[in-house]
Amino acid sequence: MLNEDRIILMTKMAAYENNEGKKNGMIGSYFRGDYIGLQVMKSIISATISFFVVALMFLFYDFEKIMSDIYKIDLLQLGKRVLLIFVIVIAGYSLLSYGVYSYRYSRAKKNQNLYSNHLKKLAQMYEKEVKK
Amino acid sequence: MGKLLVMKEQLKNIYSKYEVYIVPLLKFITAFVFLLQINSKLGYMNKIDNVAIVLIVALMCSFLPYNTIVVVGAAFVLAHLYSLSAECAIVAGCLFLLLFLLYFRFSPKDTMVVVLMPICFMLNIPYVMPLAMGLIGTPASIVSVSCGVVVYYMIEHINANATTILGMTDAVAKFRFVVNGLLNNNLMLITIAAFAVAIMICYIIRRLSVDHSWTIAVIASALTNIVILLIGDLMFDTNISIFGTIIGTVISIGIVKVLQFFVFNVDYSRTETVQFEDDEYYYYVKAVPKISVAVPVKTLKKINTQKSALNTVKPTQRSQVTSRPTSGTNSTVGSRTTVGSNTATSSRTISPTRQQTSTNSRPQQGSRTTGGPSSTIGSRSPGGTIDRK
Repeated sequence: MLNEDRIILMTKMAAYENNEGKKNGMIGSYFRGDYIGLQVMKSIISATISFFVVALMFLFYDFEKIMSDIYKIDLLQLGKRVLLIFVIVIAGYSLLSYGVYSYRYSRAKKNQNLYSNHLKKLAQMYEKEVKK
Repeated sequence: MGKLLVMKEQLKNIYSKYEVYIVPLLKFITAFVFLLQINSKLGYMNKIDNVAIVLIVALMCSFLPYNTIVVVGAAFVLAHLYSLSAECAIVAGCLFLLLFLLYFRFSPKDTMVVVLMPICFMLNIPYVMPLAMGLIGTPASIVSVSCGVVVYYMIEHINANATTILGMTDAVAKFRFVVNGLLNNNLMLITIAAFAVAIMICYIIRRLSVDHSWTIAVIASALTNIVILLIGDLMFDTNISIFGTIIGTVISIGIVKVLQFFVFNVDYSRTETVQFEDDEYYYYVKAVPKISVAVPVKTLKKINTQKSALNTVKPTQRSQVTSRPTSGTNSTVGSRTTVGSNTATSSRTISPTRQQTSTNSRPQQGSRTTGGPSSTIGSRSPGGTIDRK
């Protein structure tokens, strides 16, 4: 027999699964450390690519000057400076990523817990119906 | 105001009913306008500067996620710039790459701002975006609005200097010219600063727990925007049109207020079509959000306390007329309203929907028409209450 309350609950849960649930389910399948670690790793890769893109643009922009001064430049010093900037940029961006993805993980977990509670409630409804 | 509220509810109703068609239509219109504007501004590649192609691509975008519009728009810009000069395309490509890698990875939903920002600029109402994002966004929206501003000014700079770029022979010089156009564009920097401050002010004020915080936020941030743009103009001599800025801001405030009423404050709940199963059944459920068309109803209170005038309602004797929305539809609520006429009561409440005609009527004993063909006021037993049939 059709149970109206149960259908409403199941509809809500199905709607959640169709929309937010997919993404949250994916996030919830990771441990916190794994998820944040993976996302921070992706951010480091993105930041590294971006850094090299900007560096190449800078190189191309001042190409003539760099080529004329190439023998006068202290390459070791320049390398150290570039490396320092790179580390600062990557560290800053990673820290930002860590904050954002920590927040997203906790939010997804919260929604997943709510979904689990709905599941329990649904199971109880079935049990009640069986007892009747 | 009542009519507007009804219209808002009706819009909500229409959206819920026809969401399946409305969303793709909106995507189509956005993509079509965006791509047409890119073609009209740049238009160096003849192959894609064609309405038929734009139409096909926009149709394709209407069935794909919103972000596809951004990707397709970026591809169009790059194609046009490549036709003009490979160096321009490289600069634009690097810029787009940085935007996608660094920012839109975090907030893919904000990508539409980059599409809408140039559209607003080309319609001469760029101030809509900071005000709107201040109302519905977060401080992070500053980044997306700034990205939109940068993209617009890059296109504008290349478009304005296309002849100069074509005249250059040295690749490095071309590259440097385009990059300089971006880095040394004071107008762009001032606009970014003004929009950023406007978004922050709008965001902070609209979160305050004061009456009309949204309206105050919009006006305050619009004024701040104008002031910063004018100060920037004085400092860097950017030739901003003061009159144009003020007029544009006023129009933008109007647009934002309309958006606020019809879009931002309305929960256009989605109709959910889901299917699931249990041990006994397969369920194919279409969950439609409850819609109640708010019909303005004016309530008339304390008509007359004097015995002699109990059955006479004069407009001047009304002490309080209030408006309140009610559930139901026009056809049911107030279609037949009976108001009690009692010699012992000192106050009376009338709540038919046809408020204006009913409150202005002068009822006498017996049954009479008050609110058009379907509303009646009749005699009733003591109590002075309302019956709705």
